[in-house]
Amino acid sequence: MAYLTDYQYYENGGLNFENENWGSYQYVSLNDIVNNFMVMYVGNDKLINNVERYNVLFHAKRAIQELNYDSLKEIKILELNVCDSLRYILPQDYVNWVRVSMYRGGTLFPLTENIQTNWSSAYLQDNNCRILFDEKGNTLKPEDSTLDADRIKGSKKSIYLNEGSVYDGQEGYCYNDSWYFEYSIGAKFGLNTETANANPTFKINKKSGVINFSSSMADELVVLEYVSDGMEGGDDSEISVNKLFEEFVYSYMKFVILQSKYGIQEYIINRARKEKSALLRNAKLRLSNIHPGRLLMNLRGQNKWIK
Amino acid sequence: MSIINTVRATVLSIANKNNFGYITPNDFNLYAKQAQLDIFEDYFYQYNSWIVKQNARVSGSGYADIVKGLVEVLDYFSLTKSLIISNGYDFTLPEDYYLINKINYYPNLRSSGSVTGGTGKVLISTGSLFITDGVKPTDLLSNITNSGEVLNVVAVTNETTLTLSGNINVGDVFKIVSNSGITEVERVSQNKIFYLNSTPLTSPSTSFPAYVLEDSDITVYPIGQIASGTVFSQYIRYPKDPNWTYEDIILGGEPSFDQTSADYQDFELPISDQTNLINKILQYAGLSIRDKDVVAFGKMEEQEANQQEG
Repeated sequence: MAYLTDYQYYENGGLNFENENWGSYQYVSLNDIVNNFMVMYVGNDKLINNVERYNVLFHAKRAIQELNYDSLKEIKILELNVCDSLRYILPQDYVNWVRVSMYRGGTLFPLTENIQTNWSSAYLQDNNCRILFDEKGNTLKPEDSTLDADRIKGSKKSIYLNEGSVYDGQEGYCYNDSWYFEYSIGAKFGLNTETANANPTFKINKKSGVINFSSSMADELVVLEYVSDGMEGGDDSEISVNKLFEEFVYSYMKFVILQSKYGIQEYIINRARKEKSALLRNAKLRLSNIHPGRLLMNLRGQNKWIK
Repeated sequence: MSIINTVRATVLSIANKNNFGYITPNDFNLYAKQAQLDIFEDYFYQYNSWIVKQNARVSGSGYADIVKGLVEVLDYFSLTKSLIISNGYDFTLPEDYYLINKINYYPNLRSSGSVTGGTGKVLISTGSLFITDGVKPTDLLSNITNSGEVLNVVAVTNETTLTLSGNINVGDVFKIVSNSGITEVERVSQNKIFYLNSTPLTSPSTSFPAYVLEDSDITVYPIGQIASGTVFSQYIRYPKDPNWTYEDIILGGEPSFDQTSADYQDFELPISDQTNLINKILQYAGLSIRDKDVVAFGKMEEQEANQQEG
């Protein structure tokens, strides 16, 4: 991409979407990456020769995908309302979650993942527990499993946390923002710290593409921070990568192309592998932004008393 | 400088030394065409051979850069034309192409219309709004009517008038594209295009288009998203057929060379190929007049030349 004038950068040259180019200098486009690679790394006198552009394009996209999963820290954030179904449909470009929070009263409450499942699919069964089928031989399924129905109705037990209450740490039912407990009979067991949290909990159903929440999340706002693969919905012209990773992307492409070519000596492949790994480490360090000023701020808390 | 007359005179001189036979102008033109094509094609093999040598560090730089000289000869035959959609979504390739080197897509279509006035290099199109459409000098004009001939916009005089780098005729239909944002359309084989289209990471897009060749047409992917006149091909054309033209033969005399004839065509290969041309033509002529010596002489000369060139 050509360099922009100040007017193009700040006001998009007077066109609509004036913020179009803000911060764009941090990124190098997929188009530039592929063109640069074809010019500088492919040729009669280069290590890589006779390689089709679709090969290069594929590996460039794969490099960007891999970087997006962890190294790049390109977090996307989406806010949606959770209705009575207690379900949050995952964004179209969702790959993995970073943090799920509830936004209530101007504050973000980070939610914890419920390690016990709170959803399930189910088959319909007769009185003898035999599974029921339709005329095509497929199993019949209810709209909600009992587990789901209990969660949605609020009749599923969860742990109540309130230090000022005698019911603190006990299992109870949260229904319409009110808690109900059974008579405590027999011995009490220790609190499961993994699930102990006053805030609602969630569990992700990856296959169904939804996040299922505990019953107290009805009509709450959820803010999902997640990572995508950087493919921008298939629009190649929008795909870009941070410039700090540009050299890594080239070395990754070089390595995978050499690795998959016939007749390349192993020492050349190893050289490319080492170069790729070193450049990834280098880019991660750069992107981590370890400044003296930031370290100083962290170190200021070293003598703080932890209660 | 014309070399065809020199070549013919030399061929006649060698072949006719012992009154073995005479080569008519028509025969000579046929042999000349054959010889030129032969040498022209050999350039591509030589180019490849010298690339291999260059990679093996057997070739030098500067005056010893043989590859550079070969590329110069091949580039003489390079042409750029815009491609027109012929049927459905297929673009027709130029008739005179020997080798398609690159197909480029110019995504920014600025303007289109037809010529309503002007002469020579001045284009007037009363229905157009060149300034409003953002037409700028250095933009490319594709003359759809004239087989996709490509001209440069030299100046934008007003909303309806342009000055071009070449002539255009009244009635010609044209399209103007911006010279920026160009992307190469990649050639893929017929057996790959299905797989490429089937996966999101490799499916051709307007940023990374692809084409497959069939007959003398190409199909550009993504299908239906690439407009006619926005695809340009840079290709190597066949050399024009040489034609040694002459004035009426005086009875009993020699035909007289006429360079001013309308259908006159010199060899398009460089003068350095004159010897090769003579040797090749001698071989064909020797076969024709059934003289083994002439064929052998031509072959021997050619072999010597090849040995010298490495």
